[in-house]
Amino acid sequence: MKPRVLVLAVGALLTIPVIVFLAIGLRHDPHQIDSPLIGKPAPPFALADLEGNVVRLEDLRGTPVLLNFWATYCVPCVAEHKTFMTGERVLGERLRLLGVIYHDETSLIRRFLEQRGEWGRTLVDPGSQVAIAYGVYGVPETYLIDAEGIVIDKITWPLVTPEHLFAWLGQHGLAR
Amino acid sequence: MISYLGQGLVLLALVVCAVGAPVGFVAGARRSPEGLRLARGLALAFAALMVLANLAMEWALLTHDFSVKYVALVGSTATPTHITIVSLWSSLEGSILFWGLVLGLYTAGVAILQRRGHEDYLAYTLGTILAVGVFFTYLIAGPADPFGLLDPAPADGPGPNPLLQNHALMIVHPPMLYLGYVGMTVPFAMAVAALLRGQLGPTWLRPLRNWLLVPTAFLTMGVMLGGWWSYEVLGWGGYWAWDPVENASFLPWLTAIAAVHSAIVLQRRGTLKAWTVILVMITFLLTILGTFLTRSGVVNSVHSFTQSPIGPVFLAFLGVAMIAVVVLLAMRVDTLTTEPARETLVAREGAFLLNNLLFVAFMLTVLVGTLFPIAAEAVRGTKVSVGEPWFNRMSVPISFGLLLLIGIGPALPWGRSDGAALRRALLWPLPAALAALGLTWLLGGRAGPVLLTGALAGYALWVTVDHGLRPTRTRMKKGEGPAQAFGTSFRRAPRLIGGYLTHFGVIVTFVAIAVSSSFQTSGEGVLSLGSGSLAVGGYELTLDDVGVVEEPHRTVRQAEVAVARGGRTLGTLAPSLNHYDTQREPIGTPAVRTSLTHDLYLTLMNVRGDGTVGLRAIVTPAVLWIWIGVFIMTAGTGLCLLSPRPARVPAVSRAAALDGAEAAS
Repeated sequence: MKPRVLVLAVGALLTIPVIVFLAIGLRHDPHQIDSPLIGKPAPPFALADLEGNVVRLEDLRGTPVLLNFWATYCVPCVAEHKTFMTGERVLGERLRLLGVIYHDETSLIRRFLEQRGEWGRTLVDPGSQVAIAYGVYGVPETYLIDAEGIVIDKITWPLVTPEHLFAWLGQHGLAR
Repeated sequence: MISYLGQGLVLLALVVCAVGAPVGFVAGARRSPEGLRLARGLALAFAALMVLANLAMEWALLTHDFSVKYVALVGSTATPTHITIVSLWSSLEGSILFWGLVLGLYTAGVAILQRRGHEDYLAYTLGTILAVGVFFTYLIAGPADPFGLLDPAPADGPGPNPLLQNHALMIVHPPMLYLGYVGMTVPFAMAVAALLRGQLGPTWLRPLRNWLLVPTAFLTMGVMLGGWWSYEVLGWGGYWAWDPVENASFLPWLTAIAAVHSAIVLQRRGTLKAWTVILVMITFLLTILGTFLTRSGVVNSVHSFTQSPIGPVFLAFLGVAMIAVVVLLAMRVDTLTTEPARETLVAREGAFLLNNLLFVAFMLTVLVGTLFPIAAEAVRGTKVSVGEPWFNRMSVPISFGLLLLIGIGPALPWGRSDGAALRRALLWPLPAALAALGLTWLLGGRAGPVLLTGALAGYALWVTVDHGLRPTRTRMKKGEGPAQAFGTSFRRAPRLIGGYLTHFGVIVTFVAIAVSSSFQTSGEGVLSLGSGSLAVGGYELTLDDVGVVEEPHRTVRQAEVAVARGGRTLGTLAPSLNHYDTQREPIGTPAVRTSLTHDLYLTLMNVRGDGTVGLRAIVTPAVLWIWIGVFIMTAGTGLCLLSPRPARVPAVSRAAALDGAEAAS
């Protein structure tokens, strides 16, 4: 083989795969940890709130549900707390908000809610059974479940401001 | 106002580059002095515009002009002024603008300093640099525009990434890395110029070596400072994790070092032409690939600023550059293949060749490990990382090979030599290797790799000192005093001394890495106020205080840990956990007590409401010597840039003496 052809062949062999793989790689978001639940029915649960009243997920069919896992030791959750209070006020009955306590003590939660106000329903998750069913690995983590009970999205970053919340809901056609 | 000014300057720079690149190429092809003058003028104009655009951005940052998009993104009235100044490179758009500044400065450097001594190539060189400039000014003008106008302007911004505000090293690491990364454009442009010209003459090689050494020295510092920063700030107790962003800085460094060595052989023996040119070109491509990997969001790392629009543009540029390189190499393959037959491989040139092979093997190892997750995702849809074991398994033997070469390479004579001379040259440092082996054993080294490091380092150290001081010794034998002998030898051949000083730094760093990674001890424990203590590596740690500090953007939980050794109190260390509103996981700030022999490194794992803390303590020997070794390497590389000053000799033999002194180094 002529040296010129050899250089071209070797060059093409090295160049093309690199470019192709990188081009494909560019279409994936490495920050996104996909949940296998997306597009599937949300794992059902029945959890009691701080007053002992049980909330069943199935009972909420017909309204989209925002399911947020949080704790008092989670600093971003403090910012999210305000977001959800605003969100609830704005959205009213159009979206149900559920907060599930993740590895925290109810006494601390009570004090936190007394100081900062409440939103939605705050649910106690004994033994983290629901968190395990949803594959939660940290807080905050937020799931969006549509009116038919299908999980449509999961985010692992905090909704720091109401704008973040409305933008996220907007992506799924749920904003104002 | 500044918004329009900045955009105007950048657009003008784009026009200047777009005109300057073809002007350079045409002037090169026609060997036109007027064309070259025009290309030089445009190169200087490009540099000036980049300086002005960066000054405009600094002005906007310092005056908190939040109508400028980038200022609204990274600025904040609460940020201290020195952080505001360096926030120019704290996020994507600003760092690309800063890239433009560095490229501009290098361009001006070439246009001014290579006015003479590079005439045959300069027009092509400038044309190529400006062609690269077209891409970067386009990025700044369009996809990564930092000067975008925000109307209405927000009243305040969030401030730069909190991680980057934590340590002074963040102020120096990025500029060093950029000076290294961007500087590789110059040797690349010179390689392109040589291929276009169809010859690799001495007025090409000498500038190439210098313009290769400068960014290589900066890159060495940049890579080290990045590791140091990660050690001081990220809190996992290590300095290197084969993270994609670390690999991105390491890949071009490997090929740049190989290219530097290759150029020595080319200068001395006229061989390794293809090696030198290709290594220089690959180095540049790797800087672009590295920037693409870390800035586009293809891989997740400290440096990827989310999915950014520059990814596709960068990939397109990388593709065009790769294709251009391949086509150019194919067109000019005859320029590179006229090498004289190799005399022998058992000689210094053989060691250089092996050195190149090892560095390229190292680069490919790291490249495969870095790209594998992306390739796996492209093929199978899931990201699979090869992880640290792969990198360590592959890099350790290659590193040993390189340490061996630092020893035997300089010991070998150039060209063909008889067996007895070879044996003498190679066996002479052997007692040093055995002595170092014994010393390692006495100091407690028992594991195979540690003993091997000791022996190889001893051998290499002996050869390095012996060869580095050989001219001095020759002069001393003639009756000169040691200081005078060294001074004269240094002036005659600063590059020789610089080269061996660099090798000395490599040996120091190598040994420090081996020791620090082999003899680490660590412990974890839960401490509460007034009770419980943690004993690690001879230290006793007790908890003095736990405090919570509320700052505007974060909550800092800090523990004051009393450090004692042998019953004697040494002071307190205060590791902390920082909770940022915008980040889910807290970021730990370790506290480090550094000494010449070892570091005590404390990180907090958690702080509970009842005042107990989970503490992790790591005692690592010799860490400081890793950084010291790199400083020595950089100083040595700096010396290699000095021109030898020949003795007073008749004018006729002056040039010959100069060549000889240069070749010797």
